[in-house]
Amino acid sequence: MKGRIVFYDRTYYPFSKFDGKCVGCPTRLRSMAVTTRLTWLQKKILQNHFGDKKFSLLYKASVHGFSTQDLHNRCCNQGPIITVIYSENVVSGVYVEENYQGGTTDSIIIFVLRETEISECKANSYNLFVNYNDNAQYCINLQSGNVLIPPQIAKRLELPPGHQYSFQECEVFRCEDTVDERKIQGLIQLRDQLLLAMRVYKPSGNLVNQVKILLLGPIGAGKSSFFNSVKSVFQGYVSHQALVGDDTTGTSKNYRVYSMKDRINGASLPFVLCDSLGLGEDEEGLCVEDILSLIKGHVSDRYQFNSMKPITSSDVKYIKYPQLKDRIHCAVFVFDINSIEHLSYGMVAKIKRIRREMIKCGMLHVVLLTHVDSMKLITRGDLIDIYSCVPVKLKINAVHRNLGFSVSDILVVSNYSSEWELDAIKDILILSALRKMLWTADDFLEDFPLE
Amino acid sequence: MAVTTKLTWNEEACLINQLGNVSLSLLYKSSVHGYSMSDMLQRYTCEGPTITIYFSNSIVGFLMLERNHKQTIWFTLRKKKDIIEMPTLLLNTVLKTTTEELSFLSYCGETIFSVNLKAQLIFLNHMLNAKIRLPVNSCSRANISECEVFRVEGIKDNRGYLKRITEVTQYRNKLLSDLRAYKPYADLVSEIRILLLGPTGSGKSSFFNSVKSVFRGRPTQQAIVGSDSTTSITEQYRIYSIKDGVHRQYLPFMLCDTMGLHDSEGGGLCVDDIPHILKGCVPDRYQFDPCKPITSKHPTYIKSPSLKDRVHCVAYVLDINSIDNLSSTMVAKLKQIHKEVITCGIAHVVLLTKVNNYDEVLQVNFLNVNKSTTSQKQVMNVSKILGIPIFNILIIGNHTSKWESDPEEDILVLSALRQMLRVTDDFLEDLPKEETTCGYFYYESTSCRLSQIYC
Ligand SMILES: Nc1nc2c(ncn2[C@@H]2O[C@H](COP(=O)(O)OP(=O)(O)OP(=O)(O)O)[C@@H](O)[C@H]2O)c(=O)[nH]1
Ligand SMILES: Nc1nc2c(ncn2[C@@H]2O[C@H](COP(=O)(O)OP(=O)(O)OP(=O)(O)O)[C@@H](O)[C@H]2O)c(=O)[nH]1
Ligand SMILES: [Mg+2]
Ligand SMILES: [Mg+2]
Repeated sequence: MKGRIVFYDRTYYPFSKFDGKCVGCPTRLRSMAVTTRLTWLQKKILQNHFGDKKFSLLYKASVHGFSTQDLHNRCCNQGPIITVIYSENVVSGVYVEENYQGGTTDSIIIFVLRETEISECKANSYNLFVNYNDNAQYCINLQSGNVLIPPQIAKRLELPPGHQYSFQECEVFRCEDTVDERKIQGLIQLRDQLLLAMRVYKPSGNLVNQVKILLLGPIGAGKSSFFNSVKSVFQGYVSHQALVGDDTTGTSKNYRVYSMKDRINGASLPFVLCDSLGLGEDEEGLCVEDILSLIKGHVSDRYQFNSMKPITSSDVKYIKYPQLKDRIHCAVFVFDINSIEHLSYGMVAKIKRIRREMIKCGMLHVVLLTHVDSMKLITRGDLIDIYSCVPVKLKINAVHRNLGFSVSDILVVSNYSSEWELDAIKDILILSALRKMLWTADDFLEDFPLE
Repeated sequence: MAVTTKLTWNEEACLINQLGNVSLSLLYKSSVHGYSMSDMLQRYTCEGPTITIYFSNSIVGFLMLERNHKQTIWFTLRKKKDIIEMPTLLLNTVLKTTTEELSFLSYCGETIFSVNLKAQLIFLNHMLNAKIRLPVNSCSRANISECEVFRVEGIKDNRGYLKRITEVTQYRNKLLSDLRAYKPYADLVSEIRILLLGPTGSGKSSFFNSVKSVFRGRPTQQAIVGSDSTTSITEQYRIYSIKDGVHRQYLPFMLCDTMGLHDSEGGGLCVDDIPHILKGCVPDRYQFDPCKPITSKHPTYIKSPSLKDRVHCVAYVLDINSIDNLSSTMVAKLKQIHKEVITCGIAHVVLLTKVNNYDEVLQVNFLNVNKSTTSQKQVMNVSKILGIPIFNILIIGNHTSKWESDPEEDILVLSALRQMLRVTDDFLEDLPKEETTCGYFYYESTSCRLSQIYC
């Protein structure tokens, strides 16, 4: 332990008077908190690699002491563990799949993490943590700060030839599944609460019976899929009522006003979703004039859009004198989250123009980002707390920066696209997004001049 | 057996949220690691802040910042109509351990809490039992089925942390009810009008949204906010009254949102509009024209505004990060406006938005917002530019990115609002008798001179 004393605070606080024996070590400096040295990205890559795991840091050598005894006290019987070793310029370690109890472990996985790449190799070990280097197997000697890697393994992991590698820090984490039964139970409860809240929702001031939500966005953004997803959640199984597809010229051609039925009592739900033609480059897709007509409620269900020619008052589908119930109460800009940085200049300008028009006529709007499930590094477990997930935060900030929407108006979902079964995790994202849309509609109705 | 906590996911989420979005790592679980005192105690050493939770027919837990820290937070988690509540209590305690028992004593040596792991028994004294309001029938001595120790990561600032966790919600609710009960001075008007003025993108509309959200109890975005490189998002004059989410009544103040001021001449809010706004001549939803001010010929111009139509308090909204590089035109505009406001004798404050370090700004006792820290320089600077005393320079963080409301953010917003109402009361009290009693209202300003009679 010599030389490591620098890690401790010099002032030794007196131990409790009643405490006969001095158990424990001196108070630490605040900077010495037990936090991992892995960066967010490194930790995430490891967690994903070993199967969507959550890591709980159990032991950190520089804090808890460089001794096998200290490590075993904290890390035995904690279930599967992962040990991470920090050497001069490489992060390596070992994953123990079974409950680690000290002593012999049948199968271990030795890995090396370089940048974002993991190389690994399976091995056996008699004693993972040792005090004396008398072993030809892979082992870690905390006392001397060395890890012993047999040459053939070192070669497979592309480590420089050698036998012993010294390290500065060693951390041990317990690995749990991010999505376990306990969480699923909680999520199902939460889902049911949200579902109930939305079934009994009444638009503000009873001004209308149903709130109308308009979905707008580039072709293939996932507008129709969002409707399908909402419908699926409320009917209890996955629905594919609206046609979805990957046609680059747009799948949905008609304006559709979808009303949904409640599975439980067959009543209509207090909101309808309006699906439109996608926005295209230049003159393609939905035109801005049509959007204004949609918002004001001039267009009726099943109107066939024509990107060249906006709807006119002579069209049979044109409603001349729309009432409050016909107009849109909340507009939603839908984007594929992966496309945010790749939107063309023209598309950005178009979106900004539409937004400007909306602000002019007081139309409140939110942003919905779809396809989170297909983002790099994002796993199913991440969807539980998606808004605090670093890559998603970056995307949200990009939307804020590039398009000017306020951060609190940006929602994230993962639509049902290829699944057969409902998933409480996705349901919660979909329902929270819907809840925010209903709140926005309420704000709109409250703000609406009464004349 | 898997080492996972016995807390439900919702309970865990509530705990994490209440402690300020910390992260918890389960270190010890007695049913797996053995009901041995030394095993458990070991987990307290060198871990920093820890939480220990005992499961009997109810849940009792405590948070220690470090072993032998003199303060501990006690809490329970219980379900009330789908919502999980977490009553907390802050105590000064002394930790005492023997091979059998771990106990917390008060400073006068009385046992507040003790646990005997081997016997799986806990004891809570009467005071603790009553304060965290455990179910009445749970006796002070209880069998426990499980004991868990967690390390807490992400506690930002040790100073005052414990006190804040236990008192922040209470203080927020007190502020809320104070503001709900507020009545303008001598009932001269039923609602105070607060005008928000400031550069584009400084957070005027967001401030209205924040205030509304706090009183509503859910995030609202009635005013559109965001950013647009060229122009102001808000283009209309809006007078917002706010309905309280609890009592469904209108609150005793209104917020008037305006178009932002621009760096260039001929853009953004026209400075010449301001005298009209201050007097209360500009109607709700008036569409601002950056090039020319409203005139009395405008169809909805309010020709003879009464005291209730007037602006009673002006809040200059400025982004705290922009203070040091305000353009000279902006400073000139602000000075001109402020001169106008002073001539009219209207109450005024400054709101500095977009502070990031509000947990640093907020003092332990919440009573004073602490300006002696990083924001000191900006506060002094504003004070110099506008000649407004430091105590009327308020710091807030608008609800912008969070889903859940944050009680500390709420406190900043509510304290700012309270300060505005206080200065407005002084203004109302200071009004000449004639203006308030018989409705006569003589007005003088630098840009126009008019006297209006209201009967
Ligand atoms: N992985 C994943 N795929 C999605 C998601 N949302 C939509 N998709 C897929 O993206 C494609 C386009 O979705 P649509 O719903 O047809 O998009 P749209 O916005 O209605 O497109 P148009 O009608 O053509 O304008 C389909 O193949 C969907 O299955 C999502 O959240 N995750
Ligand atoms: N981080 C942070 N962002 C804020 C705060 N207040 C406002 N914002 C953000 O700043 C941007 C502009 O806010 P607005 O409320 O629209 O500003 P405004 O003063 O009404 O602007 P105009 O109406 O355009 O003159 C929005 O994106 C807000 O989300 C704050 O306290 N903190
Ligand atoms: Mg479609
Ligand atoms: Mg604004």
